[in-house]
Amino acid sequence: MNPSLPDEAIAIGESVSRAFGARGGVDMARRAETNPAVRASEAGTLLDSFGAADLDPRDGLDSAAAAAELCRAAGRVVLPYPVVSALLAGANPKRPFAVIAGPDPARVDHGDLFDEWTVATIDGSTYDATVDGSPLGSRLGPFVTDVRVTDVLVAEPAPDATAGNGSAGNAAADDALTRVQLALTLGGWQILGTVERAMELAIEHVKGRVQFGQPIADFQAVQFQLADAAVAVGGLRELCLFTLWRVFHAPESGAADALALRVHALDVARSVLRVSQQLHGAAGVCDEYDISVLCRHIQPALRLPFGSERAVEELAREVDAIGFESLFPHGGVRL
Amino acid sequence: MDFDFGERATLLRERLRELIATEIPSGYLGAFTDDPADLEIAQRFCRTLAAEGLLTVAWPEEFGGGGGSVWEQTVVREEMWAHHEPRGAQYMGLNWVGPAIMAFGSDEQRQRFLPPIAAGEVIWCQGFSEPDAGSDLASLSTRAVEDGDGWRVTGQKIWTSYAEMAQWCVLAARVGPMGAKKHEGITIFLVPMDRDGIAVRPIRSMLGPHHLNECFFDEVWVGPDEVLGGVGQGWAVIRRALAHERVGIARYARCDRLLSALAAELGPGGIPERLRAQWARALIEVRVARLLAYRAVRGQEEGLPSDDRASLARLAVTQCDQHVAELLFQAIEGRSLDGKGPAAPLAGAVEDYWRYAQAATVASGTIEIQRMIVSRALLGDRR
Repeated sequence: MNPSLPDEAIAIGESVSRAFGARGGVDMARRAETNPAVRASEAGTLLDSFGAADLDPRDGLDSAAAAAELCRAAGRVVLPYPVVSALLAGANPKRPFAVIAGPDPARVDHGDLFDEWTVATIDGSTYDATVDGSPLGSRLGPFVTDVRVTDVLVAEPAPDATAGNGSAGNAAADDALTRVQLALTLGGWQILGTVERAMELAIEHVKGRVQFGQPIADFQAVQFQLADAAVAVGGLRELCLFTLWRVFHAPESGAADALALRVHALDVARSVLRVSQQLHGAAGVCDEYDISVLCRHIQPALRLPFGSERAVEELAREVDAIGFESLFPHGGVRL
Repeated sequence: MDFDFGERATLLRERLRELIATEIPSGYLGAFTDDPADLEIAQRFCRTLAAEGLLTVAWPEEFGGGGGSVWEQTVVREEMWAHHEPRGAQYMGLNWVGPAIMAFGSDEQRQRFLPPIAAGEVIWCQGFSEPDAGSDLASLSTRAVEDGDGWRVTGQKIWTSYAEMAQWCVLAARVGPMGAKKHEGITIFLVPMDRDGIAVRPIRSMLGPHHLNECFFDEVWVGPDEVLGGVGQGWAVIRRALAHERVGIARYARCDRLLSALAAELGPGGIPERLRAQWARALIEVRVARLLAYRAVRGQEEGLPSDDRASLARLAVTQCDQHVAELLFQAIEGRSLDGKGPAAPLAGAVEDYWRYAQAATVASGTIEIQRMIVSRALLGDRR
């Protein structure tokens, strides 16, 4: 039992974080809003310099752990780049992979950066897709782009298809499910990075902000909110680690595990971002402050492919079908 | 990275479940009920576990233990708590009194006290809290006044679990006047509960009998060989005890088992549609609480300071306990009032669990204290 990432993955995460910091951290997201080209020229190039194009999380736990730390580092600065999708591109780095809610309509973040996409629904149905229009340009989804599904790659999963079960003749379906599970899992790591950074910003702010003659960190009402947020973030960190391990250790239940992480990451993000913003006072909604940019730019990752209530519905269905790893049996009989 | 406890732990879990299935009657709700036979079942079960070396799986071999890993000990904690702690009051001696004596005791104390704990033959109680010293434990006012080569202890303790049945008490008292630093002077004494001057009064509570008592100490004599960890050095023992306690209670395991058992009893479609989302979230919450507890255990294994890690786990685990208890009550609605009996949902286990969970966020240190510990780790000491 060793619930910690390999040292190599941690080292990659630290290096990438330093590199993002040297480029201004969250300022990259700010710059991208005025000059969308910096997404490819700065963020994409930076990721390439760390060998992201050669890193395939499907290769095994070590690769996935390195990818996870990369996603976490990206989440810390809300990197203006589809890092999870790019990591799951596989052999063709020009063709990223994204999970969508359904084939029509379908939208992905930073869709305009690539001409072609591979997209899949939660059940593993997989499609070719092309960009359909320009990015939304909105405050919460500046680079979210609609995509149009063209060809069907995997029509529907085989009845016995589970990620990684190696059933002969359905490798494509298995791979699709693996990619879906990894997309949800790495998305959880990305959100983890954002909520960790949000908490750090809140802590810095309450230590420096003086009201009634003292730093507001001295007030227990503030302290307790941060303590509860620390429990939430700490729990999400553990669940991210566990889920990543499960994707490789128990792929047959990967769908339930990945959905559980998705639900929890969204629940934690909702509460921790809210508290972090609240503790900044009015500054929390001002883009001069990183917390506001974090809260805006992480929204696509929270809303796409679907939000927490849809995710929990899907999870309940998976638990009924295949069960849920725990000390005692739940739902289906397979676990 | 590996979340597998290993083969030894897996086999241990299987063996414990076998023993529980054969030795513990179905519908057993723990040692502390209105039926004295339940206490006898726990005592018998302790002897069975001791005979197989399963009471002290993770104790060092030199102290009569199995030398197993903290993960094997975790398996024991999980299985015992999940099945309504069929060791009864013994868990306290095993989880922290024994380890504290190993860490702070003299050779004579280790030889005297550890074998009976390892054999499951002795019950300990914990004389820490006082009417005016709960969360602010260092303000305790029970005094130990020098008398010959020992002391006379006078004061009142409260919330003392198992005091009526315990043979020994880990008693915290103050030697000398309270100074500017309240922690200084606190001394731990290992006191036999049949010594002259000790009186116990049970406190009636929603938890059931034996859980809560008041203890009165009226010039109770204690000797120098009954001091644990040195005169005036008791705070270190208390801190270690509380950290052990925080890690020690695997409340998430009972949440897990009862979520599983009630769903099975309700049958297909038995979980009301309106609760499906909450039910799925409860499974996640139980998983997260378990993982945070594992992180605290991992810190213990690595010898890291555990205060804030243990407090994070405790905040998650105790609140999970109450959330799941409430969810189970929502599922059985009016039948939640049935109490114990074959006709009640899970023969009364859900009702028993809900009552007991109400104290989860208070016992062994309130969650407000845990939040203070966590926020100090985040912000530095703001006092």
